[in-house]
Amino acid sequence: MPKEESQTNGFSRRQFIRVSGAAVAASTVAGTIISAKPKPDAAPTVPAAQGAIDVTLKVNGKTHTLNVQPRVTLLDALRERLEITGPKRICDRGSCGGCTVIKDGKTVYACMMLAVDAQNSDILTVEGMGTPENMSVVQAKFVEHDALMCGFCTPGFVTSVHAVLEKNPNATDAEIRRACAGNICRCGTFNRVFEAAVAAAKAGGSA
Amino acid sequence: MQDVRWNDPESSRYLGKSVPRLDGPGKVTGNAKYTFDIVLPGMLHAKVLRSPHANARVANLDVSGARNMPGVRAVFTDLPQTARFAGAEIAAVAADTEEIARDAIRAIKVQWEVEPHVVSTRRGMRDSARVGRPREATRGQDPDTLWSSAAAVIEAEYYCPVREHLSLETHGLVVQWQEPDRATVWLSTQAVHGSRGELAGALGIPQQNVEVICEVMGGGFGSKFGPGVEGRIASALSKMTGKPVKLMLERYDEQVASGNAPDALMRVKAAMSADGKLLAFDSQIWGTPGNGNNSGIPMPYIYTVPNQKTWQAGVSTNTGGARAWRAPNCPPASFLMESVVDELANKLGLDPVKVRQINQGSEIRTKQLELGAQMIGWENRNKTPGAGSARYKRGMGCAVAQWGGGMGQPCNCDVKIGNDGSVYVGIGTQDLGTGTRTYVATIVAEDLGLPLSRVRADIGRSSLPFATGSGGSVTSPSVAPAVKDASMKAQVRLLETAATLMSAQASDLELRDGKIASKSNPSNAMTFDQVCAKLPPGGIAVSGTTLASLQQGGVAGAQFVEVEVDTWTGKIQPIKVVAVQDCGYVLNKLTAESQLIGGVIQGLCMALLEDRKMDEPTGRMLNPNMEMYKVIGSLEVPEIIPVLYETHDKVAGIGEPAVIPAAAACVNAVYNATGVRLRTLPMTPKRWFEAMEATQ
Amino acid sequence: MNNFSWIEPKTVAEAVTAVKNGGAPMSGGVELLCLLKEHLIQPPSVVNLKTIPGMRSIEAVAGGMKIGALVTATDVAESTVIRTDYAGLHQAAASIACPQIRNVGTVGGNLCQRPRCWYYRDPEIKCLKRGGQACYAVAGNNEYHAILGGGPCHIVHPSDLGSAFLAYGATVVTNERQIPINQFFVLPKDDILHENNLRAGELITGVDVAADWKGARAAFYKAKERESFDWALSTALVLLKMSGSTVADARVVLGGVAPVPWRSAEAENALKGKTVSDTVAIAAGQAAVSKATPMSENRYKVPLTANVVRIAVLQAAGLKAE
Repeated sequence: MPKEESQTNGFSRRQFIRVSGAAVAASTVAGTIISAKPKPDAAPTVPAAQGAIDVTLKVNGKTHTLNVQPRVTLLDALRERLEITGPKRICDRGSCGGCTVIKDGKTVYACMMLAVDAQNSDILTVEGMGTPENMSVVQAKFVEHDALMCGFCTPGFVTSVHAVLEKNPNATDAEIRRACAGNICRCGTFNRVFEAAVAAAKAGGSA
Repeated sequence: MQDVRWNDPESSRYLGKSVPRLDGPGKVTGNAKYTFDIVLPGMLHAKVLRSPHANARVANLDVSGARNMPGVRAVFTDLPQTARFAGAEIAAVAADTEEIARDAIRAIKVQWEVEPHVVSTRRGMRDSARVGRPREATRGQDPDTLWSSAAAVIEAEYYCPVREHLSLETHGLVVQWQEPDRATVWLSTQAVHGSRGELAGALGIPQQNVEVICEVMGGGFGSKFGPGVEGRIASALSKMTGKPVKLMLERYDEQVASGNAPDALMRVKAAMSADGKLLAFDSQIWGTPGNGNNSGIPMPYIYTVPNQKTWQAGVSTNTGGARAWRAPNCPPASFLMESVVDELANKLGLDPVKVRQINQGSEIRTKQLELGAQMIGWENRNKTPGAGSARYKRGMGCAVAQWGGGMGQPCNCDVKIGNDGSVYVGIGTQDLGTGTRTYVATIVAEDLGLPLSRVRADIGRSSLPFATGSGGSVTSPSVAPAVKDASMKAQVRLLETAATLMSAQASDLELRDGKIASKSNPSNAMTFDQVCAKLPPGGIAVSGTTLASLQQGGVAGAQFVEVEVDTWTGKIQPIKVVAVQDCGYVLNKLTAESQLIGGVIQGLCMALLEDRKMDEPTGRMLNPNMEMYKVIGSLEVPEIIPVLYETHDKVAGIGEPAVIPAAAACVNAVYNATGVRLRTLPMTPKRWFEAMEATQ
Repeated sequence: MNNFSWIEPKTVAEAVTAVKNGGAPMSGGVELLCLLKEHLIQPPSVVNLKTIPGMRSIEAVAGGMKIGALVTATDVAESTVIRTDYAGLHQAAASIACPQIRNVGTVGGNLCQRPRCWYYRDPEIKCLKRGGQACYAVAGNNEYHAILGGGPCHIVHPSDLGSAFLAYGATVVTNERQIPINQFFVLPKDDILHENNLRAGELITGVDVAADWKGARAAFYKAKERESFDWALSTALVLLKMSGSTVADARVVLGGVAPVPWRSAEAENALKGKTVSDTVAIAAGQAAVSKATPMSENRYKVPLTANVVRIAVLQAAGLKAE
């Protein structure tokens, strides 16, 4: 389960990095990319679109209500409406794993699910597993083993590994590879993903 | 001024050691903000209308359907109205949501005048108007006079298809226009500085008024230098609407229009003497860079053949244009040439490793071949290629490579130390996932004797001091020496103050563990912070520039691959790869190894799966997606042993070289395993059975 | 995707009404979103079948198994009873795509997948299956197309579960009727626009698997270009009923090579009454492709499929396939 067991408050405080307009002075201190001017928690305002409906999503323990057209995917709702941008849009056709999130304990492609269809579920993204200051075991092992390069596929891999270790804390290299079979990395970090995942299993799994 | 050298890795804390990358925690938690992740208040989404035809002219463009659609804020049509490939940009829109922008694109009506097209090299090379001016070279005797006297001659045709970059983050940007004459641009780029001018031009404002930001980026592999046509479109739409505009290419757009590596069709005849020396070589190569006809496959790559004739020409086709692709032209050159050398060696029953050692001039590579052979267990390779009748057959192959990777444009770097002990290093480079940000910080931490967490590294913005674009493996050799220069200057200034405070000679002081201490009298010491407090007001602010003496280009590499071939299904599974790569002075062992592992994996993708498929009848790309344009996944990846072969005390670039020989080594391993020579990439089951059919 | 409305029926009857009004039924949604994103369909509404109770269970019954239409591929792959008694179905389900897709993809959806043909999937190309005048695969690139049963359209059917259900002798249960699986899929020569016999507005509610082949020796073998995650180049599902050491009865179903899951009577006949050996397995493989009519770029599928059958036969018989 996510490290952050509960829910509404603690999460929003620490979670997001906001890039807000021209005032941004993004800079890097020991890997945390921060911005000078955090924004209030409200999702950015998008003018109401024709046929939009209210959709309630429970993401990383927090409940959000959005007004979106039914055709908006879970991924685009997370990224563009809630600014939960850990899950990436890469292939947008269920072929690469970059958008992998955990829905009620199982990995799914958020690009191939409508937001409206993800209601009444618990959605967990990498943001809900840890923060730069307080990473989950899987996340920390990814960093330690350099299981990422450009990092764009990384949230998807972290999520697939997290899910397999939730199911089987002693997952083997072969099981981890099968769990990651729906994830593509273009930089070629696979070997170190598997090393990190095995190390995470030894160090206590997905906690 | 003392002679600046790289720190001795024996006694260093960070340099040459394995240091986890600084942006790792941000990337694994979703906190790192890529261009694709930027969401601004009031931001509009842009989409591009592309030509469905490979060769066509717009007779009439009716954008009224888009313009009148609720939620659409601007339509942009200042684009060429001729399309020379299916995917050429014709018009663009900006709308409140992505979904509406997509609707608006579909609401644009175009009348096309369609002209005939050619989309394949094989078709195009038959039309002399499409074939560029050949590049020809000769050396020694005419090879035609030598075939009859040679111990071994092969004559064959090889083909390496067009490959895509397949960057996971598509090309794109977010432009925030600020009246009257400024703009902030988040751009997924390999060159924040290099992109500024083009954006300023598109916006019609001075270059200094554009800030280009790229904190982290999701892969470029040579395809992301300038903002390109996307930059022009997004800039115009932001200026037209006065709102921030996000234009990230759709996956389809990315795969049809954002670059690729040209293919290479080679017809070759080559000869070897009985003692394994290349004797004569005659090659013709065709390849398409899209709508153009340049070509540049180096042939016979790293080898010197005493008698050779080479010819190559580009073939213009109605396909998306080529761009630099990680080690441009070298992976196909390696595949072509290393296959030829392997065929000749095997024909003579000679050891392919020895034959390579005889024919190439690099002493380093000769040693790398020895080391790699030992590590893979070369003596256990299939002594008779293809021996036995088992379903699964194993074999080993090798290939070698050479790459430049020296200094690009000289860079500048700022290092600042505050009176409060804060340390800042700023340089306008970018981290493509190679680990640039991390070594920018570790170099300074090392020289100032501080823990890494005390150094703030600032990169990825064009308002920082100039740094070269990240291509050609020049980033480390250009950036690191500039950081080192600034860092040493800061160290000198700090030690000057410390020497006065401690009544010691600066040359007797060392910085270690947050302290400055006398080497001769260790009890005479101050903390770093104590010294900083006594610095002149404003602390230290120094600038460094690339010291050419700290870098070197020209790196050699050798790779060995072991494969298992399922001869019943044609499925090729790499088992183990040893990648020995000349790395110069290693700044960070962990990330350097990752570069080698990643290069090998991309090389294996080329060997096994990558293939842009164009449809001649329709002129369209058949696999403009990640479902059918395939790269290897978790179950294909073999054990990979990266060997950092450190040859000198200067920094070299290794972003590209490891990608070069892997495919060739894999092809040669398949031959060793099965006795079947696959001359067309990728080596899919289709190729396997076609090769079997040809041998029967 | 066009801007559709969203319908959440509470009963099959409500769903049927919505679908008859042009709504697109959705279960897991992966395939539907592929079609919607390429604008291959532009329905006025999408009908979420998952709001209907039931259709989610796997039940062992006297006559075999009842599997609900909304059961996921993961559920099938992880079902102990299926793994034990219908091993070929288990293997087929476990081979589908990747975890993220198996976790949402359903039995009903798997059977109703549209072809992956790259001409069919290209929104700019109007092929026979989309009401056009030509099968572009004939003159174009047909390397992934059919070697059996093709024409005038040359797609291959992507359903792995379809192969398994055909082998085990299942019945597709809909809101209207029961369709024997061997009458469910249709060839292009019989219906160019559809891959199955479902009527407009007819919804699959489940699949009943007969007990006839329960416990039979089984193997499903799938050849792909990319083991991690790929469509099949060729598959074979082999079931063997043994009488001592000889094959009393056999089922051989090919996938990825024909517009429908393809039962090979030729291969079955090559096995019946034989003691399985590599020679017999080779003969079965050869028989399976004896009537193949490859196209310009897919000749490789003929020897590949022969070997895929050979491997599956050997594996089903418990022999080493090497």
